[in-house]
Amino acid sequence: MLTRYVIRRIAVGFVQLFFLIVVVFFLIRLLPADPVSRFVGLNPSVEAYALAERNLGLDRPVMVQLGHYLGLLPSEGKGLLQGHLGTSWVTGSLVATEISRALPVTLELLTLAFFSALLISVPVGMIAALRPGGWADKGVFVYSLFAGSQPEFWWALLFVHLFFFTLGVAPAPLGILSPLTTAPPVVTGFVTVDSLLAGRPEVFLEALHHFMLPVATMVFILSGPIIKMVRQNMVRALSSDFVLYARCAGLSRRRVALYALRAAMAPSITIIGILYGFMLGGAVLIESVFSLGGLGQYAIRSILAFDYPAIQGVILVITAISLLVYLALDLIHAFIDPRVTF
Amino acid sequence: MANPPTDKVKKRVDWLFWFGVAIVATVSFLAVFGAAIAPYDPTLATVRVSVPPPALSEWPGLIWQNLTGQLEQPPHWFGTDAIGFDLFSRVISAPRIDLTIALAANGLSLVLGIFLGLLAGYFRNFMTETLMRVSDVLQSFPVFISAMILVSLAGRSTENIVIALAMLYTPIYIRLTRAEVMSQRVRGYVEAARALGNPELVVALRHVLPNSLAPALIQSSVTIGFAILLTAGLSFVGAGVRPPAPEWGLMISSGANQIVLGEWWPSVFPGIAISLTVFGFAVLGNALERRYDS
Repeated sequence: MLTRYVIRRIAVGFVQLFFLIVVVFFLIRLLPADPVSRFVGLNPSVEAYALAERNLGLDRPVMVQLGHYLGLLPSEGKGLLQGHLGTSWVTGSLVATEISRALPVTLELLTLAFFSALLISVPVGMIAALRPGGWADKGVFVYSLFAGSQPEFWWALLFVHLFFFTLGVAPAPLGILSPLTTAPPVVTGFVTVDSLLAGRPEVFLEALHHFMLPVATMVFILSGPIIKMVRQNMVRALSSDFVLYARCAGLSRRRVALYALRAAMAPSITIIGILYGFMLGGAVLIESVFSLGGLGQYAIRSILAFDYPAIQGVILVITAISLLVYLALDLIHAFIDPRVTF
Repeated sequence: MANPPTDKVKKRVDWLFWFGVAIVATVSFLAVFGAAIAPYDPTLATVRVSVPPPALSEWPGLIWQNLTGQLEQPPHWFGTDAIGFDLFSRVISAPRIDLTIALAANGLSLVLGIFLGLLAGYFRNFMTETLMRVSDVLQSFPVFISAMILVSLAGRSTENIVIALAMLYTPIYIRLTRAEVMSQRVRGYVEAARALGNPELVVALRHVLPNSLAPALIQSSVTIGFAILLTAGLSFVGAGVRPPAPEWGLMISSGANQIVLGEWWPSVFPGIAISLTVFGFAVLGNALERRYDS
């Protein structure tokens, strides 16, 4: 049953991805940007322009370009079907290679941030829910509204000013490792994991030190919606019949609260997944303030340079990961809440 | 847990509601009159570069001297930036750009979303199902990156920002209105209207539509806030309005290099403005939502 469900979800996911790719493909070609003149420079001759257009493959009919991109035209070379995301117009290297270098940074940032945000938000949301309408609840409510509606790039800059410039406890916002440190050999692409694999704990600590402020910024932004959601689900769980029964049975308040937490976490999981998918693209601004070199910064660079294959690659990867995360979380949801079956 | 846990949030939102109203009113006022009451031209640099703002203790004295005309020129309340722009003038002129973009984008997506949502919820056929799948695809785009793509490739103009944001927000309104229409269309008054011989389109527009507006209208306040955030974010990465337009995100961006070196004021003041504005819209939206639910 479960296998069939997973297979069906993945199949639907592929169809969704296909439509998305086609939409993005036509969308960026419909918009009135002129990537050719971007690459050929100022005042090009007609020949130079035509040559550049040819090199980029933009002189061919759009449907041929699409066929080539999807890998349906074997004579034109590899495409998506062969696992080839294309070649960047700016750097000339493979988009897949560039993304595989940038993606781990973003995933590392997001994972650290989500983990810390949950660690802080779940207890806070629980405390607020234990006495709805109490002082703690009021304060938490205003905080979560506030944190959920803030310009993250501005807070990132404030943190840099405070912790780097004024207090000097954080490193300069210039990437994950200081320029003097040699990066550990790439195994997984995650600097924190690679440094431990290479047996260099000092690099691991340095990476964590550099992740401190970007993670703090993201935790602040994320804590708003997460606290709000935990509180809401917790209030609902605490007023349900099984909690009443548990209390009647004479269980301690702490025990009852833990029961309720389990019931409250199940619906929260879905929203956390949506947030994770959202932040894959939403980490752009934080990454750019701290020059982390993640997927978001890669997206900014590609978009501003009209690098179509790279833009398509970024959207494809972000959407594919979001779909996978949704699937994984639905499975976790079924694991936590036995009433959910497929 | 002496009392059964009930949601007593309604009472506590009242002062928050008025706080939201006050912020929204102030920002709207500045959107209209901000540039007119600004002491300096927001797009004309002065010769005084990187002047820090006066200390808070000097403000009362400066305000008095300014009102009584003892000063040769108005003080730079928020200081000046590295180019010499008066930051106070720019911060209070910015709502004209930020709020206009947000209101226009929201208005456009609201009208389009309500109309399409009404069609999709009332007439369930192949066309409207296709519409829903298209809006699914649109909704699965990463919002910020898509906005960047649309604006950079279409050209960094105010109109293009509005269109890009409207395109990304329309699916939300389609979904909200459709859900509401689907719950309204099975009610008795709809059947009554139909039984009286009204054509379907009249029933949909005259009777179902007015009763299905609330969720979308309430969502507006939140959407306007997020549209302001997105507009500012776009200019922060260089994909939004062009300098020297007085726009909050652009101002934060141009101060970003100095803040690392200790000059905090060029980024801090526009940031406070965005922070309060978006919070105000969020608070208002939240209060409206609670009133509607109760």
